Amino acid sequence: MTQGTTWGVTRGVILASVATLVLGCEPGREEGAGPVTVTFSASEVGREAQLLRAQLARFMRDRPDVRVVIRSTPDAADQRHQLYVQWLNARVGEPDILQLDVIWTPEFAAAGWILPLAPAADDEADFFPATLAAHRWNGRLHALPWFVDVGMLYWRTDLLERAPETLDELARMAAAARGPTVPYGFVWQGARYEGLVTVFLEVLGAHGGRILDAEGAVAVARDPAVRALRFLRRAIHERGIVPTDVLGWQEEQTRFAFQNGQAVFMRNWPYAYPLMEAEGSRVAGRFAVAPMPAGPEGEPTAALGGAGLAVNARSRHPEAARAVIGYLTRPEQMLERAEVLGHYPPRASLYADSRLAVALPIPPAAAAEILERALPRPAIPVYSELSGILQLWLHRALTGQSEPADALARAAEDIRRLLERAELTPPTEDAAAGSE
Amino acid sequence: MLAGLFPLYWVLKASLAPEAALFAAPSLLPREATLEHYRTLLAERDFWRPVRNSFVVAASTTVLCLALGSMAAYALVRLRFRGKAVLLALVLAVAMFPQISILGPLFLALRELGLIDRAPGLVLPYLSFAMPLTIWLLVAYFRQLPPDLEEAALVDGASRARVLGEVVLPLAVPGLVTTGILTFLYCWNELLFALSFTVSAERQTVPVAIALLRGRYQIPWGQIFAASVIATLPVAVLVLLFQRRIVQGLTAGAVKG
Amino acid sequence: MRAGGSLQAGERRLAAGLLLPGLGAIVLVTAFPLAYTLWESLHLHDLRMPWLGRPLVGLANYAELAGDPRFGEALAHSAFFTTVTVTLEVVLGLVLALALDRTFRGRGLTRVAVLLPWAVPSVVAALVWRFMFEGDSSVVNALLGRSLPWFADARAAWVPLILADVWKTTPFVALLLLAGLQTIDPALHDAARIDGAGAWRRFREITLPLLVPALGVAMLFRALDAFRVFDVVYVLTGGGPGTATESVSLYAFDVLFRNLRFGYGAAISMTVFLGAFLIALAFILLLGPRLVQEAER
Repeated sequence: MTQGTTWGVTRGVILASVATLVLGCEPGREEGAGPVTVTFSASEVGREAQLLRAQLARFMRDRPDVRVVIRSTPDAADQRHQLYVQWLNARVGEPDILQLDVIWTPEFAAAGWILPLAPAADDEADFFPATLAAHRWNGRLHALPWFVDVGMLYWRTDLLERAPETLDELARMAAAARGPTVPYGFVWQGARYEGLVTVFLEVLGAHGGRILDAEGAVAVARDPAVRALRFLRRAIHERGIVPTDVLGWQEEQTRFAFQNGQAVFMRNWPYAYPLMEAEGSRVAGRFAVAPMPAGPEGEPTAALGGAGLAVNARSRHPEAARAVIGYLTRPEQMLERAEVLGHYPPRASLYADSRLAVALPIPPAAAAEILERALPRPAIPVYSELSGILQLWLHRALTGQSEPADALARAAEDIRRLLERAELTPPTEDAAAGSE
Repeated sequence: MLAGLFPLYWVLKASLAPEAALFAAPSLLPREATLEHYRTLLAERDFWRPVRNSFVVAASTTVLCLALGSMAAYALVRLRFRGKAVLLALVLAVAMFPQISILGPLFLALRELGLIDRAPGLVLPYLSFAMPLTIWLLVAYFRQLPPDLEEAALVDGASRARVLGEVVLPLAVPGLVTTGILTFLYCWNELLFALSFTVSAERQTVPVAIALLRGRYQIPWGQIFAASVIATLPVAVLVLLFQRRIVQGLTAGAVKG
Repeated sequence: MRAGGSLQAGERRLAAGLLLPGLGAIVLVTAFPLAYTLWESLHLHDLRMPWLGRPLVGLANYAELAGDPRFGEALAHSAFFTTVTVTLEVVLGLVLALALDRTFRGRGLTRVAVLLPWAVPSVVAALVWRFMFEGDSSVVNALLGRSLPWFADARAAWVPLILADVWKTTPFVALLLLAGLQTIDPALHDAARIDGAGAWRRFREITLPLLVPALGVAMLFRALDAFRVFDVVYVLTGGGPGTATESVSLYAFDVLFRNLRFGYGAAISMTVFLGAFLIALAFILLLGPRLVQEAER
C-alpha cells in the first residue's frame, strides 16, 4: 500500500467513526409547538396494560396537546423499585409519571425525587385517610393514591362452611380440611421479599403488635411480635399445615397453588380474585374472601398496599404530568379499574356506588370497613432498608436458622441502628443506645 | 476442544428451538427449528437498538484509543527520555485496575455533566481500560518493527513527526488492526460500566440488554439465546477472520511484559 | 545526524506532545476518580438521604467495614473464587498448551475453538452455563441422572460459576502458556532426550522452569481478573442464593447503586483496589527480578 492510500484509508475510517459517534448521539426532543410528550411508567401485569392504554387514549382525546407514552418496567415490584431508584438518582427527566408502590413514596419524597402534589380540597376528604397518610412526607402529599390493596384470606367454600374468626381457628380448620387432594392447609407469601413483611404485618397486628409504635420506637422485638412469628413458624414446621415451599413463593406461586385446588386457605391480595374466577381455574365458584382473622389480644389486620401516581422532580412537563394523574385518579377511572381488574379504589364515596357492588367480590360496606382499618407499613424514607432487615431475619426464623425471639431481637437492633444513621430516631427512645 | 465448543453449539441450537422444546428432555440434535425468538427480539423488543448503541460506543472508543494510543506508544518505544520503564509499568497497572474502584466518582461526574444515558458518557469511562490496553499492545507491536526505515528517513532530514506519520503508520496498519479488534471486543463485551451509566432501554448496550432480559417471572430462554447469538455474531466473525492476528496480539502483549 | 543536547530536548518535547493526549486521558479517567474514591470513602454520602449532607467522617466507613459480616463473606468469596479458578485455569491451560504444542493439523480450527470462549461476552457465557444448570431437567441434571437444585444451595451454586469462568478463560491462559512454550529451544529437549531423560523429567526440569515467566504473567493477570470479578457472578447467580456467591465487586455495586451509599461503597471499592494492589505486589516480589528485566528490555 502506498503512503497516500494508507492515509486516505485512515482518514476515511476516522471520518466514518466520527460520523457514527455524532449520529449515535440523538438530538434532544423538540420543544415548543406540537403536543407535549410525557412518559408513564406503570405495572403492566395481565390486563393492566390494556386498561391503562384505554384510559390514556380517552385522556388524550380530551387533551390533544398532551401525548402519553408508556414505558414498560419489570413485573416484580422489587425490580421496578430498583429501576426507579436508578432512573431518579441519575436525574433523568423521564419517565415523567411514575406508579409508586405505597411504601416508596416517603422514600422518594425525602430524596427529593418527586414533586409535591395537592389534590383539590373536596377531593382530599374523599380519599381514605390511611391511603393519604401513606403518601405523605413532611406534611406534604407527594403522590395521589391510585388503587388500594389489602391482604385478604381466601378460603374454599366447598371444603368449609364458614371463614375462621381467629387465627387458631384457621389453623384447626386448615389441619382438618387437608387431605390427599388438598395437601396444603394454608399458603402465603414466604419468600425473602416485601410480601413476607406484609404477611407478617397482618399476623403481627392480629396479635396486637406493630413494627414501629406510635412514637416511632422500634417495637418489632416485643412480645406480640415474637408470638406472631412463632405462630407462622409452627404452622410450617410443627403443625404441617403450611408447606415449606412457601418459603420461596411470591404472590403468583401462592395463587397457582390455590388456583389448582391444592390449598384450603390462601392469603393474597385482591388481584387474585378475578383471575381465579376465570376459565381454566380449578377453584372457580368454589372460594370466597374474608378478612384476615385476629389472634389473641389483637384485631383483624389487613396490610395496606396499593399504589399512587407521582411526578418526577426533573420532569420537563410537570403540568401535563399532573393533568394525567388528575384524570386517572377520578372516580370514573377508578370504578372502571375495579370492574376490570378488581382493584379497590381509595375513594370512600365510591363504596356507596351500586356499580362497585357488582365489581367487588365482597359487599362494598365490608370492603370499606377493612380499608378503614387497614394497617400501613412505616411511612419513613428508609422503609426499604428496614424491610430488608426484617425480611432477612423473618426468613431466617421461618427456615429454622434462627430462633424467633433471637431473630427479632437482632432485627430490632439493626433497625434501631438504621434509624439512628438516618437521624430518624423518635424523641423518646427506649433503647439503651446513646446518641449525640 | 469440541467439548469446549459444546456450550456455544447449545446456544445456537436453543435459539432456534420452539419455546416448549426448551424444557423438554435435552436432545443433541435439533428436532425442529424456528425463527420466532429472533423475530420477537427484533420486532417486539427492539433489540437492534442495543446493537447500535454497542457498536457506536465500541467503535468510537476504539478509534479514539488507536489515535491517541499509537502516538503514545510510538513515543514510548522510539523516543528517548527518562522514566520510560516506570510509565510502561504504570500503564500496565492501570489496565489491571478493578473497575469498581472508580465507579462511584465516574457516576457522580457523569451525572454532573449530564452524560448519564448518553454515548459519550460510556466512551469516557471505557477509555480507562481501553487506552492502557491499546498503548500496551501497540508498544509490543512497535517494538517488533525494525527501525531501519525510520532511521533512513531521519538521515534524509525528515522530522520525527513526519516519520511517524508517513513511515511508521503504514507499516503499523496490521498492528493497529489487531489492537483495534481487541479493543473493540473488550468494549463490546463490557458490562459493569454500561450497567451503571445507562439508564433507559433506548441506551443500553448489548450485554446490559441481555442481562436485563430476565425481568419477568419466567426467564425467556429462547429470546436470551437468540440475543446471545446476535451478541456473539460480530465477535465470532472477527475471531474467525483474524484469529492468527488476535493470538499474536494477545501473546505478544503478555509475554513481552 | 545532529549532535548533542538539542536533539535530546527536541525529542523530549515531541515525546511529551505525543504522550500527553493518551496518558492525559488515562490520568483523567482513572487517577482522578481513584483519588476521589479515596476522598469519598472518608465521608458519609448517602444519595437517598440528602438531608444528612456529606460530612467528613474519617475512618468511620472503614470501621463499619471491619465489622460488616457481609463484607467479610464477600472478601472470602472472592479469595476462594480467585484461588480455585486460577489454579484450575493454570493447570488446565498448561495441559491444553502442551497438547496444542504438538498439533499441526487443523491449526486454524483449533485456534478458533480456543478463542471463541474467550471472546464471547461474559454475559452470554454466564447465561449459557446458567441454563445448563437451571431447573430440574437441566442439561447437567440430565447428564447426571439426578435432579439437583444447583442455584438454591449456597455451596452448589459455586460449581456453575467456577465452570463458567474456567471455560471462558482457560483458552486465554493456554494461549499465553503456548507462546511461552514456543520460546523454549527444542534443542534443550533433544539434548535431554539423548541423555535418556523421560518425558516427565524433561517437563519438570526443562519446560517448567523456563515457563515460569509466562506462568507468572498468566497467574498474575488471572488472579487480578478473578479478584475483581463482576460480570459472570452478576448474571449467573446474582450473588445468590441470598449472598452466598457474592464477590467484593458485586457487594460494592450493590451498596453503591441499590443502597446509594456512596461513601460506604467508596470504602469497599478502596479495599478492592488495595486487594488487587497487594496481589500484584505479591507477584512482583515473588517473581520480581525476572519480570522487571523483561519490562526494561
